[in-house]
Amino acid sequence: MENALRERLRELFAGRLSAEMRLYLDTCARCGVCIEACHVYASLPETRYTAVARAETIRRIFRRYFKLEGRIFPWLGEVLPLDDPALEKVYETAYTCTGCRRCMTYCPFGIDTQMIQGIAKLLLIGADREPKLLTMLADMSIAKGETITESKENFELAMRNLEGEVIEKWRGEAGKEAIPVGVQGADILYVALAGKHSIVPAAAIMNAAGENWSLSYFEAVNFGAFVGNPAKTREISQRIIQEARTLGVREVAICECGTAYRVMKYQTGEQPFRVISFVELIDRYLEQGRIRIDPRQLQGRVTYHDPCQMARNGGIFEEPRRILRRLTQDFVEMQPNRAENWCCGGGGGLVAMGEQEFRMKSARVKAEQMKATGAAVMATACENCHTQLSDLNEHYGLGMRVAFLSALVADALVPREPEAGVAARPSDGLRRAES
Amino acid sequence: MADQVSFVILVPMVYLAFAVLLAGIGVRIGRVLVSPRHPSTLRLFPARRAAGVAALQDTFLMPQVRRHASAFWACLLLFHVSFLLLILGHLDLLPWTRLRPADSKHMLGWGAVGVGVTLPAFYFLLRRMRGPVREISTLGDYLLLLLLVFVLLSGDMMSWANSWSENGFVMTKQDFGAYLASLARFEFANPRDLLPGSHYIVVVIHVFLANLFLMLLPFTKVMHTFFALPLNRLRRG
Repeated sequence: MENALRERLRELFAGRLSAEMRLYLDTCARCGVCIEACHVYASLPETRYTAVARAETIRRIFRRYFKLEGRIFPWLGEVLPLDDPALEKVYETAYTCTGCRRCMTYCPFGIDTQMIQGIAKLLLIGADREPKLLTMLADMSIAKGETITESKENFELAMRNLEGEVIEKWRGEAGKEAIPVGVQGADILYVALAGKHSIVPAAAIMNAAGENWSLSYFEAVNFGAFVGNPAKTREISQRIIQEARTLGVREVAICECGTAYRVMKYQTGEQPFRVISFVELIDRYLEQGRIRIDPRQLQGRVTYHDPCQMARNGGIFEEPRRILRRLTQDFVEMQPNRAENWCCGGGGGLVAMGEQEFRMKSARVKAEQMKATGAAVMATACENCHTQLSDLNEHYGLGMRVAFLSALVADALVPREPEAGVAARPSDGLRRAES
Repeated sequence: MADQVSFVILVPMVYLAFAVLLAGIGVRIGRVLVSPRHPSTLRLFPARRAAGVAALQDTFLMPQVRRHASAFWACLLLFHVSFLLLILGHLDLLPWTRLRPADSKHMLGWGAVGVGVTLPAFYFLLRRMRGPVREISTLGDYLLLLLLVFVLLSGDMMSWANSWSENGFVMTKQDFGAYLASLARFEFANPRDLLPGSHYIVVVIHVFLANLFLMLLPFTKVMHTFFALPLNRLRRG
């Protein structure tokens, strides 16, 4: 490795040394309590797949270039000079970690391995060794933001073509668009993923609730976060923030995508609008009686997978459970669940990168956890998790149906009870019963 | 020559050890304080209403360790509580502190405090020699633990001998108190005059190893003593 590149990587590393990062890098006692926390280690018990071993790769580079003791006592075996073999190791640590932060629930200090892996990913970008697919996807998102004026028309046309499918699930008020876009002063800006599965059920639910909403021109997923590029992460978020500010919306509802939700909710700073998850919005509609669902629509035992970025990293635990308990009387929890749930094994960009073989092998423990529930339906609220759980379902022959919460709710929508003394709205009689 | 070496270890080196310790800790903490803050929260959920209290519980009761490694947790708790008592016991040696009666012959805990730190330290060492913890351990981990074990064992020898046997070491709590008081007053008195007895060499070894430990502390993971609480505060948000 050339000295110039080494120096550049050292500078990139130095740029990430916040107070918090210094604490994370300085404190690990290598007690090993976190060893059992990682689903990869639980499935493939090799030391390199432990949280501590992954973080140690970065710590050794830290000690080599930023610590006096690393320069004085390199023979203690605690340093790693930046060279080609080191970068191979860095790649392995960065892209065998899904960033689920389950290890933080084990660590006596709460060391954030995902944050440490952020350095690993940044070093790989600096050395031009990051997964190019992720960078390309991030660049495409940014390019879409730059050329939105030219692509708006095509986007709107595509949405018009989808409206029939929304109306199949829920016929809205006459004269009202089934998928409204660019609505000035909307209460909700819904940010979906690129794919009708993320748009149609959500549109049906919001129309059923009589919501004043608007669909974002941009997709929610943030590939900048997956590839670990803070600048691109910001740029991608900024498109949505700008749109929400321009429309003057009160709330931005992020579709079922854990990373998108966490980035928008917790990593974009103070905004003039509130960021919520679409799951929270469904829960709110049900609590307020703005939508009703028929529990008979959903057959078989149902379980729920807490997406890491929404649950232990986002705080959404009870909303999906309240929704599911309205959808079925046969709900069963996974063990463990909530903050200690096993990661699906698809996060951190792994699903987007493909990595089928590693994802299946490293999530064996997840497949076992799914199977142990005896459930027929596996509900979840994250695109990555949905893809990974579907792949696991097929790979391990679990015979389950993996479904988004929004899809389950949209399929079970029924007309609201008319309020006492208030006539039902004209559209209420034209509901999905027709379909 | 031996007396001169002993003097250096028992007097100037002690001052040097404390100077390195305090400066090292200051630099380490200062470096964290002057570093830029991470722009967003790093908390884990579910959120606790009293995040500060939760962070204190995490730091001092280590519920995460209790849940996932109960034997290790029991040893950690015993070790840390005993270590705190050990510090108090050393302070109690000074003539102007009165945790135990001034004429008491023995240190706080009659030697039991030493057992409370030494046994867990051996457990930590053995735990590090087997299973996956061995694979994540470095040479530095073993050296640090061995140093700690030898500091504790040499301390135990002095304490146990005085506590448990009428014919034990003839140095009393008052003798050690006189030595520490002379250090605290920067008198540079010859410790041999204050610490009579044939096992003077054990005292020298104990102080030498303790000096090494104190000087290394700021450059090792023992800094978790100062960082554990702020880290847990980050986790709790």
